[in-house]
Amino acid sequence: MTIALETRALTKQFGGLTAVDSVDLVIQENAIFSVIGPNGAGKTTFYNCITGFYEPDAGEALFYGKSLVGLTPDQVTYRGISRTYQNIRLFANMSAIENILVGEHACLRASWLEAIIRTPRVIKEEKDALEKARQLLNFVGLNSLGDQLARNLPYGAQRRLEIARALASQPRLLLLDEPTAGMNPHETTDMMHFIRRLRDELSITILLIEHDMRVVMGISEQIAVLDYGAKIAEGTPAEIQRNPRVIEAYLGSGAASGLNDAAKQPA
Amino acid sequence: MKKQLRHAVNAGGIFGIITIFLFLIGFTGTAADLFSDLFRNKNAAPFLSLNPQMLNMLIFLGLIGLWAGAYGSRKSKSQTDDPWGAALIGGLTAGLVHGLLVSGLALLVGTLNLRGVRINVYLSELLPDAIKLFLVGKSPLQGATVHIVFLTLTGFLGGLLSRGVGRGSWRVRSGAAWNSILEKISQQSIVKQVRGSRNTRYVVYGILLLLVFLLPLRAGPYWNYTIGTVGIYVLLGLGLNIVVGLAGLLDLGYVAFFAIGAYTMALLTAPQPHHLMWSFWIALPIGVLLAALTGLLLGAPVLRMRGDYLAIVTLGFGEIIRILSKSDALTPFTGGPSGVKAIGFPTLFGKPFNSGVDFVYLIFLAVLLIIFVTNRLQNSRVGRAWEAMREDETVSRAMGINTLTQKLLAFAIGAAFAGLGGALFASRNVFTGPEDHNLMVSINVVAVVIVGGMGNIPGVIAGALMLKGLPEVLRQLEDYRVMVFGALLIVMMLWRPAGMIPSARRKMEVEKDKGVIETPDEGRGK
Repeated sequence: MTIALETRALTKQFGGLTAVDSVDLVIQENAIFSVIGPNGAGKTTFYNCITGFYEPDAGEALFYGKSLVGLTPDQVTYRGISRTYQNIRLFANMSAIENILVGEHACLRASWLEAIIRTPRVIKEEKDALEKARQLLNFVGLNSLGDQLARNLPYGAQRRLEIARALASQPRLLLLDEPTAGMNPHETTDMMHFIRRLRDELSITILLIEHDMRVVMGISEQIAVLDYGAKIAEGTPAEIQRNPRVIEAYLGSGAASGLNDAAKQPA
Repeated sequence: MKKQLRHAVNAGGIFGIITIFLFLIGFTGTAADLFSDLFRNKNAAPFLSLNPQMLNMLIFLGLIGLWAGAYGSRKSKSQTDDPWGAALIGGLTAGLVHGLLVSGLALLVGTLNLRGVRINVYLSELLPDAIKLFLVGKSPLQGATVHIVFLTLTGFLGGLLSRGVGRGSWRVRSGAAWNSILEKISQQSIVKQVRGSRNTRYVVYGILLLLVFLLPLRAGPYWNYTIGTVGIYVLLGLGLNIVVGLAGLLDLGYVAFFAIGAYTMALLTAPQPHHLMWSFWIALPIGVLLAALTGLLLGAPVLRMRGDYLAIVTLGFGEIIRILSKSDALTPFTGGPSGVKAIGFPTLFGKPFNSGVDFVYLIFLAVLLIIFVTNRLQNSRVGRAWEAMREDETVSRAMGINTLTQKLLAFAIGAAFAGLGGALFASRNVFTGPEDHNLMVSINVVAVVIVGGMGNIPGVIAGALMLKGLPEVLRQLEDYRVMVFGALLIVMMLWRPAGMIPSARRKMEVEKDKGVIETPDEGRGK
């Protein structure tokens, strides 16, 4: 098995606070890997360290064996990592299809001069880009909404569009940050199927931050638990559910022993 | 009912104050003059012992009265049930309050005038003649009565117009008839074909273009100068539109690049202070390139800032360039405060472009070129990256967009457009000096972009026409030009806050024939 992403003692501090505390993770290619933890555990900071928004203070992040540390966010995208955001961050005043076209930026070559002259190559490139954007819209089930402004889309559609935009850069690794936040049970189930489809049909490795235990336990192959920035457990869903340290982190000390039985059933 | 009444009284009060203000600054007389120009009735026979001048003034006041009545009767809770009542309560009350205020003033001013107080010592516009006109040549009491009766009546009429007649059944019926005619026409196959065809659009553009190109031949030197200025502001507006409208970088020192273009043209082609006398066609690209280069040099350190900070730094830069251009130390190089004279004009195939008409065409060509370039850029990978950056800079970086490079690019291209505008401006005016490049230019260009419609080419053109063309059209109004202009701007921003022609998203014609798509989350989302 090839390792898609590996972090070695990855650390990020804000002043005296250690938001990510020497986290070691190994994510296999084509896996669905979840990172869970209570609020403020450093999950999103961990994402930001990988995607170049923050520079880690110590440690290493390797993507297919090459270091990501010191790269800017756009360079990380060119390496093949793409992400979505906890609070949806679409380009609100651009249409859905334009959002995806922006996502394709990294795959297109046209410079400003070529754009003015509109060489045959650029014309073809634009045509292909539009075609690909339409296919992606179809793939996420939004093909009738392409000309709508992103901010006018319903909530679930915005989530899907954000994923479509992330997919447009043809990533090998997709980081999803709470993709089912604010969704009802029905929508959540749809999203679960959708994430699995992403992996199966596009063979993309998926790293997932999620609070909904039904989703986490339902689709992850491997789970890591963060608490106060440090990794306190890692394993398969079944292992995590039995882990007393995880239960303690979620429910407080003392609860671990009493709730061991309850935790055996999926939340 | 009570609310309605209060609204009407308020409306009357507001319009009373407006009318009084207009009278105090002497606008009632100017308006009468305007109308007499319009109706050409200066020498008409008196009507009901009122001479044409007075009639014209009453017409003007009547229009305000109508407006007051319409406004006063507008806020009615019951929308359509009782138009007469609404007109009576709203229009009549507003008219009465309006009339009372104005007639009170007329009485006061008229009495003072009769007593021999010379009001124009305090209010320069209130000459005895103006007061006499305002009282329609009668005694203060009679004049005041005329005002109160007249304004109450027009208020009532205004109320009727907006509530009673305006929403009456004839309007509904005629509207329906009109719509059915339109529908019938659009059902015709020929009309459908013409409307659906792309060629129609090109034909319309072609006709517009032809009209624009024929215009300078008939316009005369003064209007050609104005058209040229509008054209240059279109250039500047389109350039700034890339920086502000697309890339979202607020640049308040845009005039700096304009000045660099103008001074490059001036110093390279004028006999003083350098005696280079280069050809216009060599100086023009140098000016454009220098402006773009300055954009890059300024942008590299500055564009790391966001929003307001960027605005302040660029504002300072604009002033630095102007102050440098008039500094004593640089006078041998730039010509100093007195500017540069006798700037060269272009010749093409041996034909000098020195008449006003020729230069208008040159500016037209530049505008067309810039529209073409902007259009191409806007609908490309680069343009999308700019817009994404404006929407959310952080996320756009995660899309693989190198924001610093893209900002520099936007800044440099915007600067190049300004350089082109500046070079043309200097050459057309044959003169340029520091005061051509003051802060007002920057502010005007920002206003062109905002009033016209950000991020939109037709919007910018409309904005330039409005901000640079309209003041010239309004020259008829003489001293009130600026006031009317300001009022128009306010009205514009209230009516169309997104600009005259706000940018519409381009339709990408996403396929819709694939049947209903399951979006299970639609409508049920949070």
